[in-house]
Amino acid sequence: MATLLYLESLSDCFASWRKEGLTVLAPVGEGALSGFREVERAEEANFDLLITRTTLKELFFPRTEPMLGYRIGKREIETEEFMPPVEGRIIFGARACDSAAMAIDDALFDWDYHDEYWFRRRESSVVFTIACREPDEFCMCTSLGLSPDSAKGSDVLLRPLEAGNGWQVEPVTDRGHKALSSIEQHLREGSGATAAPAEVPVKFDLEACRSWLANKENFESPFWREISERCIGCGSCTYLCPTCHCFDIQDEGDTYQGIRRKNWDSCSFQLFTMHTSGHNPRATQGARWRQRIMHKFNYYGGKFDVDSCTGCGRCTRECPVDMGVTETLQTIAAKQKQSERT
Amino acid sequence: MSLQEHYRSQARELLAAGAVKMVVGYAEGTTPERRRPVFITEPEECSRLVLDARCRTNLAGYLLREGLLSDGREIAVYLSTEGVRTINILAAESQLSSAQVRILGFEIDRDEVKAMEGKRAADFSEAILAHKERRKKQAPDELAAKLEAMNAAERFTFWQGEFSRCIKCYACRQACPMCWCRRCVVDNNQPQWVNTSSHTLGNLEWNLVRAFHLAGRCVECGNCGRACPVDIPLHLLNRKMTGEVLEAFDHYPGMDEHQEPALASFRKDDPETFIL
Repeated sequence: MATLLYLESLSDCFASWRKEGLTVLAPVGEGALSGFREVERAEEANFDLLITRTTLKELFFPRTEPMLGYRIGKREIETEEFMPPVEGRIIFGARACDSAAMAIDDALFDWDYHDEYWFRRRESSVVFTIACREPDEFCMCTSLGLSPDSAKGSDVLLRPLEAGNGWQVEPVTDRGHKALSSIEQHLREGSGATAAPAEVPVKFDLEACRSWLANKENFESPFWREISERCIGCGSCTYLCPTCHCFDIQDEGDTYQGIRRKNWDSCSFQLFTMHTSGHNPRATQGARWRQRIMHKFNYYGGKFDVDSCTGCGRCTRECPVDMGVTETLQTIAAKQKQSERT
Repeated sequence: MSLQEHYRSQARELLAAGAVKMVVGYAEGTTPERRRPVFITEPEECSRLVLDARCRTNLAGYLLREGLLSDGREIAVYLSTEGVRTINILAAESQLSSAQVRILGFEIDRDEVKAMEGKRAADFSEAILAHKERRKKQAPDELAAKLEAMNAAERFTFWQGEFSRCIKCYACRQACPMCWCRRCVVDNNQPQWVNTSSHTLGNLEWNLVRAFHLAGRCVECGNCGRACPVDIPLHLLNRKMTGEVLEAFDHYPGMDEHQEPALASFRKDDPETFIL
């Protein structure tokens, strides 16, 4: 016997949570307009989407957020600290790749500094992940050691029923258990057959990639220039990436009053590493693309023992010039295998 | 021989003879529907060059890659009429010398790709003139017509909604061959002229600054709209500005490389009293 949640009861579940003061967010919209937004009823959500264009990370690490207000007077300096609200949220219908990214980024945001902005939102949110039934040609979670039904970073895992009328419910964390207890009256015990998770082909050998990247001789390889020759240096791949987490701190206002904000930033930008002197240690797009790949598949693993990629495929799916992590890693894996043979 | 084959062999000959050092064209992409920019330097690699109705990207911007043309050598590049006009504007704005650009011209008519005869930008003036005449008569598309019918407040609301999706990835700028500033105004941070934050004001500032900067310069190649990951209909803004400049000054950007920029030139006999 398993716990089942039928689609027809979902609006009642949303109502129960909302009654407790929780905000319910779900994937809505189509294509480029899709993302996670607040919903009241189940019909507003779009569970047919393979993946939203913008990622789950926006709900924890917004594009821009105020940190501090300041006003310098004649006699005193006034400051005001802005902290995100701790209102509870249910995020219903995330994908395994997006949820896993949250767990990956937890390590970074709790490393040399405990990032309150991130963790306040993490601790007040319950993530319900729905296992995928169908991949598209860009999906590559299995190449990163994950799967379409991975529970990493999720509080509750939902497996779609074969009939398409609901999900089998598997609580993962205490937060998940607690959220489920609020909707207990809408859950059923049963034995509905669950749909097989999506079959996502493995696209590259990650171990081979790690070895090639760890070889210091390859840092100056002409490969970096060749693979990124057509890169136009926009931030599309980094901003649509569920794990990319770099930010910039900007003061908006003037010397006497203003707001200090935390804004997304991207290693693809020329300005990202520009020194005041005008010298840029990553002067070319090839050096910037190398940084992105090295950060994800070498440095991050070295520090936190996990790669900073979940295989969602957005970088390739949305690149204006048809680049992305997949092709780069496929080429790197082939290079490593070739060097092992010779 | 198909145009694809014809241009492949031309590219091969140009490279083999040393007439050009590189061919910038299109190759197959990750999926059968995709085409990607490719940079060919060896004659034997020319079989990778593809040309069909899916080749939409305006490649002219790649020529401005730092140092690429600094050795004075020629580069061959696949260009449609919009691409050729881009070369004219870039030459007029002193960003390149059109003598270094060997053109492999093509036009996409519905699903067919057709040859455009000519080698240098100056050879395409008739085709460009025909485009100008067609542009003058062109009716706005459905969404543009809807926007025209709105009052100012409604239009402002529409654009605020569209810009609210902007994530400030600057894909529009990076994909635009006209955005050649070595340091964009938004990247100037001492002082910070334009907010970098992706909030309502910051997004409005960015997208409007870019639209103004392209007035009378945009060739309507569509690179910006195709690059935008959140599908903001940026082309509508640029089309509107192009239409205004065309109507007010009979200025169609990129007619030839001596054309003065509409918003960076003046005449002493201008009827407007504020000029001089």
